[in-house]
Amino acid sequence: MPEKILTKDFDVKHLFKIDEYMKKGGYKTLTRVLKELKPEDVMSEVKAAHLRGRGGAGFPAGVKWGFVPKDVDKPKYLCVNADEGEPGTFKDRYIMTHNPHLLLEGIVMTCFAVGIHTAYIYIRGEYENMAVRLENAISEAEAKGFIGKNILKTGFDLNVTVHRGAGAYICGEETALLESLEGKRGNPRLKPPFPAAVGLFQNPTVINNVETLSNVPCIMEKGADWFVKQGLSEDGGTRLFGVSGKVKKPGVYELPVGTSLKELVYTYAGGIKSGKKLKAVIPGGMSSPILKPDEIDISMDCASLMKADSMLGSGAVIVLDEDVPIIDVLRKVTQFYSHESCGQCTPCRIGNSWINKIVKRIYRGEGKKEDLDKIEKLASNILGRTLCPLGDAAAMPILSIVKKFRKELESFIKG
Amino acid sequence: MVEIFINDSAIKVKEGTTVLKAAEKAGIHIPHICFHDAFPPEGSCRMCLVEIEGHPCLELACSTQVREGMKVYTETENVRDARKGVLEFILAEHPMDCPICDKAGECTLQDYYEQYGLFESDFLEEKERKDKKVDIGKGLILDRERCVLCTRCVRFLRDITKTGELGVFERGVRSEIGIFGDQYIDNNYAGNLVELCPVGAITDKDFRFKTRNWFLKKGASVCPLCSRGCQIFIEYHPGFARFKVPKRVYRISSRVTSRDQSQKEKGYWICDIGRYGYSYMDKDRAENIILKQKNRPAERGEAEAFLGEKIKKLIYRNKLQRMGVVLNTWLTNEELFLARKIFTLDLELEKVFFTELDTGEKDDLLLTADRTPNKKGAEEIGFEINQIEKQKLFDETELLIVFWSSPFGLGSITELLPELSKVRTKILFTPFKRKWNDAFDLVIPTLVPAEKGGSFTNIDGKVQHFDPVLSPPGEARAEWEWLVSLGKEIEVDFNSYVGMKFPYDVYKKMKDKIEFFR
Repeated sequence: MPEKILTKDFDVKHLFKIDEYMKKGGYKTLTRVLKELKPEDVMSEVKAAHLRGRGGAGFPAGVKWGFVPKDVDKPKYLCVNADEGEPGTFKDRYIMTHNPHLLLEGIVMTCFAVGIHTAYIYIRGEYENMAVRLENAISEAEAKGFIGKNILKTGFDLNVTVHRGAGAYICGEETALLESLEGKRGNPRLKPPFPAAVGLFQNPTVINNVETLSNVPCIMEKGADWFVKQGLSEDGGTRLFGVSGKVKKPGVYELPVGTSLKELVYTYAGGIKSGKKLKAVIPGGMSSPILKPDEIDISMDCASLMKADSMLGSGAVIVLDEDVPIIDVLRKVTQFYSHESCGQCTPCRIGNSWINKIVKRIYRGEGKKEDLDKIEKLASNILGRTLCPLGDAAAMPILSIVKKFRKELESFIKG
Repeated sequence: MVEIFINDSAIKVKEGTTVLKAAEKAGIHIPHICFHDAFPPEGSCRMCLVEIEGHPCLELACSTQVREGMKVYTETENVRDARKGVLEFILAEHPMDCPICDKAGECTLQDYYEQYGLFESDFLEEKERKDKKVDIGKGLILDRERCVLCTRCVRFLRDITKTGELGVFERGVRSEIGIFGDQYIDNNYAGNLVELCPVGAITDKDFRFKTRNWFLKKGASVCPLCSRGCQIFIEYHPGFARFKVPKRVYRISSRVTSRDQSQKEKGYWICDIGRYGYSYMDKDRAENIILKQKNRPAERGEAEAFLGEKIKKLIYRNKLQRMGVVLNTWLTNEELFLARKIFTLDLELEKVFFTELDTGEKDDLLLTADRTPNKKGAEEIGFEINQIEKQKLFDETELLIVFWSSPFGLGSITELLPELSKVRTKILFTPFKRKWNDAFDLVIPTLVPAEKGGSFTNIDGKVQHFDPVLSPPGEARAEWEWLVSLGKEIEVDFNSYVGMKFPYDVYKKMKDKIEFFR
């Protein structure tokens, strides 16, 4: 097993308590960062580490922070995206369950780097015990002076609040998250302006994923060069891959960015259950285009998967074996997006529902031979034409499934 | 200024202009449904997608701002495909009940289908079923199947009236507009939602199923129901050859549309008092000249002679102090100017009064407390808007001329009634048949503002001209016509009234005499 960074101490009992965390060296780096470094140093270190966003889009975190205007009178905010709604994804809960302080330490460093004094953790409503655990961790950190007013007597203030969502996939989209956090209906906003300039309560805002921020303490502890070496030159560090589906050992695996998908499925996750044959792999959460068995010998990093017309997304690997009818997959995918579309923009609202209605009809055995062409046409009318990325997230997997499994789908359509 | 290219032709626009507005300036219409000039871009309908050179995806014309040298294409294969795609989506879940929809004929969706769609439907699935007649308050009916979720209504109530009665409920294709529990829409601007709705999702009981909008003609006018003077269209039925329609006016709509940039400062709205208060135009109208002593409808000439003779008698007897006049602020600038010329300047009367103003509560948007259209005009012309001093008005008075134009209330006229019998000759100018008309010796039917030309000066001091929209009922003529005749008849300053054939002839005189109107 390669070296773990984030999860190295996760088997320590009660790591979620601050004493255990500190025994393992927790908050030491924070003390050094706050007392010895300037905010610019933190930002440039993270930039140099090529830490890419772990939430789905894979945008370099340091660059994102750099978009926040420096000299403004307005308050700035950090929103931690702990909505983890992408089907197949369960890595952030792993961090928040076992090591909430790692996230908090990352939050404080990030806020220090960008000059933020208020951070919100937007956590999905279903993650009740993680929310409680985070709240407890915040109180502990406040008691020790790592969060709150005048942190470690450096004059730096930071307030961290946990806010629980109410169960909508769309609220994981960053601008919908902001709306929801403001107490409104979670509809995505029109961009530009981008949240870095006009975000929460119309103020500059940084939005980062839980795993992304949890990487910051390690970067600051061991340096950007070391971090890059753990992964690839343009995509540093390790990633938490959540493997689920028909594998022998499903679970969260922390592996270097650039590990082969094949290795992940066959070596780490133990291969396909019950000696069945592999049918397909969804490599980065449900919205990433599906890969066939001959396509999985691929490096798990943002660029390589993009080259293969898929994406690394949230690193949630879903493995399907030969027994899974592809029409089932398509039905579930389309059902999900049809149900989770916020309904704001036309193509996503009606397109996804329409596609789902066609797929359900095929599933009932009433398919017509033009149906697959129609699905492709409808999906391409959604792709790139919606207000937020949910439209693409829905259209991409649908298009890839229809393209790659057309023969099998046609077999469901009689006459 | 920034130079951009739309479909390869150059156009210069101000920095910060959106592509949609720039194209409009170049005479190119980019279809849009959710966008409305009064609100910031929403970007949800996706109809206005255009191609911009160098951009990987289609961009929204409604929200994308121009950049120097930007090359925009609005009619490429890709753009047309996207538009068609959006229309196909909307129509897939649209009930297509145009034959019974009030909006048919002026529906954005219908128009766009004709212009950009024209495809056969291949939607083979079941449409979503939703409520088709939801009472949302103020006589408004919401049809959720027709709704395209542009959220203009929600944004109007949130941003303009700030009452926020409507919201979007549910999610995805199940999304629907609704009120919160039993909190019905209750504000004085609710009627705007019907106009704002690009389709027939919000209709109002006042107009619903009464006629088809393609039978209606639209005439530009100014709303006389408060001193704001909002610009309106009077939408009237010209009638059919073979059978009568029950009324002329079917609805009032706001004249400022999103395509009328020059009127932007006035807002896009009219209030419900102005919108729904039009029934007076067709109700209880005085159509004949009634000369009591003749006991039959009189000719115009007779009436003019009767009136002129009564005044001239007082002039010869040198008893003009025995004549009183009651005016009102429903009269146009031109009429009030003539009235001042005749009664105050030519005849030098002392007893010139105004009827009490119709009043009501003002609000923060448009509606004013003064519910008459031309108080400001009357003041600028030189009148003092004084209350009637009954003692003075009836003291030894032999001739009383009352202009009563308000369609509402009884106001000061009921106070005059008991005293009227003391006056030998009473003359009434009014557009309405009212029971007190019998108390006058001569009743001259006049016009409501929708039937006459002229101008009002609104509370902000803006002079707004308007032309007649409806034709006069029966013998009724505008007050200014009667006043021009009267001016000549009394022969004090005959020449001043020569050549006054249209309201604007009077206005030209006003411009000469009164600085304010220049």
